[in-house]
Amino acid sequence: MTAVPTVASRPDRAGEPPRPTGPRARRPIRWSYGSGRRRDARTLIAYAFLAPAFAMFLIVMLLPIGKAVQVSFYDWLPFPGADNTFVGLDNYTRALGDPQFRLSVVNAVVYMLVTVPGQIVLGLGVALLLQNRLPGRMVFRVLFYLPVVTSWVVVSLLFRYLFATDGGLVNWVLVEGLGVVDEPIGWLDSRWTAIAALCALGIWKGIGWTAIILLAGLTGVPRELHEAAAVDGASYLRRVWHVTLPALRRTLVFVSVMLVIGSFNVFISVLLMTQGGPAGQTEVPLTYTYRETFNFLEFGYGSAVAVLMTVVVLILSIGQMMLANRAERGE
Amino acid sequence: MNRVPRRRDRLVGASLAVVTALALVGCSGGDPSSTDGELTGTITFWHAYGADSKELETLREVIIPGFEAKYPGADVEDVAVPYDQLHQKMITAAAGGDLPDVMRADIIWVPEAAKLGLLERLDTAMPDFEELAAKVFPGTLETNRYQDGYYGLPLDTNTRVLMYNADALAAAGVSEPPATFDELRELADKLAGTDIYAFADNGLSGWNVLPWIWSAGGDITDENYTKATGYLNSPESVAGVTLLFDLFQKEQMPNIVLGGTGGVPTSDGLATGKYATILDGPWMYPIFEAAHPDFELQVGPVPAGPGGSVSVVGGEDIVVFRGSRNKALALEFTRYLLSDEAQLEFAKIGQMSVLRDLDVVEVNPTYGPFVEQLKTAKPRPPVPAWPKIDDLLQRRLQAAFGGEMSVQEALDAAAEEIDALLAQG
Amino acid sequence: MTIDTPRLRRTRMGARFVTLALGAVVMIVPFLYMLATSFKPNALAFEWPPRFIPADPTIANYVQAWSANNFARYFLNSAMVACVTTVATALLAAMAAYAFARFRFPGRTMLFWTMMLGLMVPGVVILIPQFLVARTLALTNSLSGLVFFYVGAGMAFNTFLLRGFFERMPRELDEAMDMDGAGPIRRFLALYLPLSRPALATSAIFAFLGAWDEYTWALTTINDPDKYTLPLAIAQYQGQHSTAWGLVFAASIIGMLPVIAVFLLGQRHVVAGLQTGAVKA
Repeated sequence: MTAVPTVASRPDRAGEPPRPTGPRARRPIRWSYGSGRRRDARTLIAYAFLAPAFAMFLIVMLLPIGKAVQVSFYDWLPFPGADNTFVGLDNYTRALGDPQFRLSVVNAVVYMLVTVPGQIVLGLGVALLLQNRLPGRMVFRVLFYLPVVTSWVVVSLLFRYLFATDGGLVNWVLVEGLGVVDEPIGWLDSRWTAIAALCALGIWKGIGWTAIILLAGLTGVPRELHEAAAVDGASYLRRVWHVTLPALRRTLVFVSVMLVIGSFNVFISVLLMTQGGPAGQTEVPLTYTYRETFNFLEFGYGSAVAVLMTVVVLILSIGQMMLANRAERGE
Repeated sequence: MNRVPRRRDRLVGASLAVVTALALVGCSGGDPSSTDGELTGTITFWHAYGADSKELETLREVIIPGFEAKYPGADVEDVAVPYDQLHQKMITAAAGGDLPDVMRADIIWVPEAAKLGLLERLDTAMPDFEELAAKVFPGTLETNRYQDGYYGLPLDTNTRVLMYNADALAAAGVSEPPATFDELRELADKLAGTDIYAFADNGLSGWNVLPWIWSAGGDITDENYTKATGYLNSPESVAGVTLLFDLFQKEQMPNIVLGGTGGVPTSDGLATGKYATILDGPWMYPIFEAAHPDFELQVGPVPAGPGGSVSVVGGEDIVVFRGSRNKALALEFTRYLLSDEAQLEFAKIGQMSVLRDLDVVEVNPTYGPFVEQLKTAKPRPPVPAWPKIDDLLQRRLQAAFGGEMSVQEALDAAAEEIDALLAQG
Repeated sequence: MTIDTPRLRRTRMGARFVTLALGAVVMIVPFLYMLATSFKPNALAFEWPPRFIPADPTIANYVQAWSANNFARYFLNSAMVACVTTVATALLAAMAAYAFARFRFPGRTMLFWTMMLGLMVPGVVILIPQFLVARTLALTNSLSGLVFFYVGAGMAFNTFLLRGFFERMPRELDEAMDMDGAGPIRRFLALYLPLSRPALATSAIFAFLGAWDEYTWALTTINDPDKYTLPLAIAQYQGQHSTAWGLVFAASIIGMLPVIAVFLLGQRHVVAGLQTGAVKA
């Protein structure tokens, strides 16, 4: 959050909101200014607006999350009458010491490092291209959006066949179509090629999503600034870099945070496309947790793994938002 | 999006939702039957029959109506759950106290569910249990055992037999499928240098390797399922796995055995002649008919080793949950599913019967080889920890096939870990 | 340096078109394959080598998918659940986003980050605790229970999304209304909601998609076949030993149509927002 001057440093101008300074003032309007009663009324209104959403969130997400965290400190079975023993941090130390878990984290990190920038860059490109008038613009939007709409289950299985070693479409294109490779590549038969295939799926599925959000964000970019920069002689790319991107900052941060979260939570595509194979080489944290929880009934352990992953994602998210704020302030 | 929000409608909707939900809760679950042997009420039955399948059709149009005709006032509601999710749904429902009355469970889930206290113990709950038990194949009954009791009854069974492609064999100059370990090795030698693989399988879990281990004269544990060391890593067991390992080394087994999903599936490979032989079950007939109508499926027994030709038992059991509110009806439905009429109906559409006296070969001659194989087939150890055991066995063996360790070392390590799991009971 | 002539503009438009067209082709190739397979009879296995034009095309899969097993019923169930979820989600999230964006109140940061936490936790792990909550509230095995949970689960994402947009709205308009004596509620209804059409439309698109495509929770809580939603119905075509791909794809494609329709509807609002240029001072 950006810094705001404290109440004491400003004269009390009852009812009159402070004038934002500078062309880019991002400080939220503090309606709580003014006399005590008005401020309380405003606060109450704020709570009233927030309450329904937060109540739903509390019941559907927060309480179960709390339970999952609690469970992570136990050797737990969810059945009534089960003998649940408190094990403290045992589940956590076990996870950190498990080579398979560590492997799954590495896979998730690699997946993130490839798919997040990939989706952002390509999604931004698509959004910029679709921003202005163009024949068939709506058609293009639908076409780019189609992968987003298709279910992960169906698409993962489809991609599995596309990347099949003998006779998969990808190999067919590479060997027969483009002639770049002599032999078909065993994509799903070894760790890094399989991860490459998974990344391709992730990026393919996410470009449309990213583009849609960035398109909506582009509505907030002042066109005058763009035109002014053009008159000043800036090339298109320059203009994008200096005008569009900064204006899109909030949206980009949002997209980036969501994509990072999504990449660490990749699950169905791995489950169905590689099944974590070969020999567990493409395991990701969620397939690992799912198996531990539902196949081996290690609920406490599975929860601990999930908590660990959540902490990692949380740190990354906070980091991203802080970086963005710092960049903003630096301007 | 410019309209004023209809908050009042939402409130009404929410109240309706709550009321409806409460009403539904009130109506769910079974009504307790009257105590006088008159069986009425509703029971829920979970299964994994696919939406488009003959099994589902038979269940809904023959089996259940037959039962309901026999017991007017009884109502069976079946719930179809995709196989991959059935176990998870069962666990979740158990946690919430929301289990059905009866379920068609994969045999490997039964001991675990029994250990968790979810299942009704049938040998004490059913006065005619002994009779029912005597009607079925012993191997299929054993899959329901947990400690001293039986917590389910078998419903349908299957096993793996050798399936072969006659053309591929001809390419090796062989006219009969390999009947022994040695013949399989010879086939591999003859196919060396061709594009054809002598044998293909898609993993190294119990379902995949146990036929070879048992046929070699080895075993995974002792009779009472208490110890693996000395059995899993015995010379015979190692020999069984080594047979496959050698094939893999000579490139006569494709690398799908390592679990990678990019290769050609066993069924497609067999039909197109890429694979000379595979092991698979009776469900393949309709699948081959639909997907590869030009391919003539031929089968033979699992190649015999020093231990004979021993395959692995698969199938499903019927279990009744302890929390069922209408146990009498649930047990009766279980009995009905084991009756001659029901088993015959199932046999007609590809579900092999567990009844010893039912001549399924008359129903469908293709069952013949499977029935033969079932006479000696063994179940995977019916222990609660089996999923974990299976997983680590597969991991160790895949590591060995991948070259990280020898087969002996892999089985030694696996046996030690399995001992620890078996000790947990 | 660059003078914007109509010719230059056309060239640039042409270049954009070609680039987009190439990109679009890559995007839809897998989809085309899916479409092709849906017109193939008895496609239990995929053809090798891959063929885009089926040898003897048939609409049998579509007919079967639609007429078998109550498909229309499942379609309707999904439609009801998705529509209610969308409206409720957009509304509640907009309200919450407004509170976060335009008010300062004790606990604001903490509450916001608590909601963000909800985004980061994988659904798989909280499945059982959620089921226990649903059970307690008697919301299992009901479509309204689905709506309740979908809305709750969507709060974090949509609040985050809308907050970003609300924060960027120009303060001048706000101040103008405030000077006129409009209270925060009026400002919300008369200013924020209308002006954030692109954001609300985007939010609606995703809320609808999320509810329409959701599988795991529906599978876990719904037992009555007549309450099944579409993803459950499609999953049933995947058998234990084999899957009727033609059928699965045909059913999936039918299922995709409403989401595309909602997308088109929503995009019109996004485009409208682009054109009115919400920022014209």
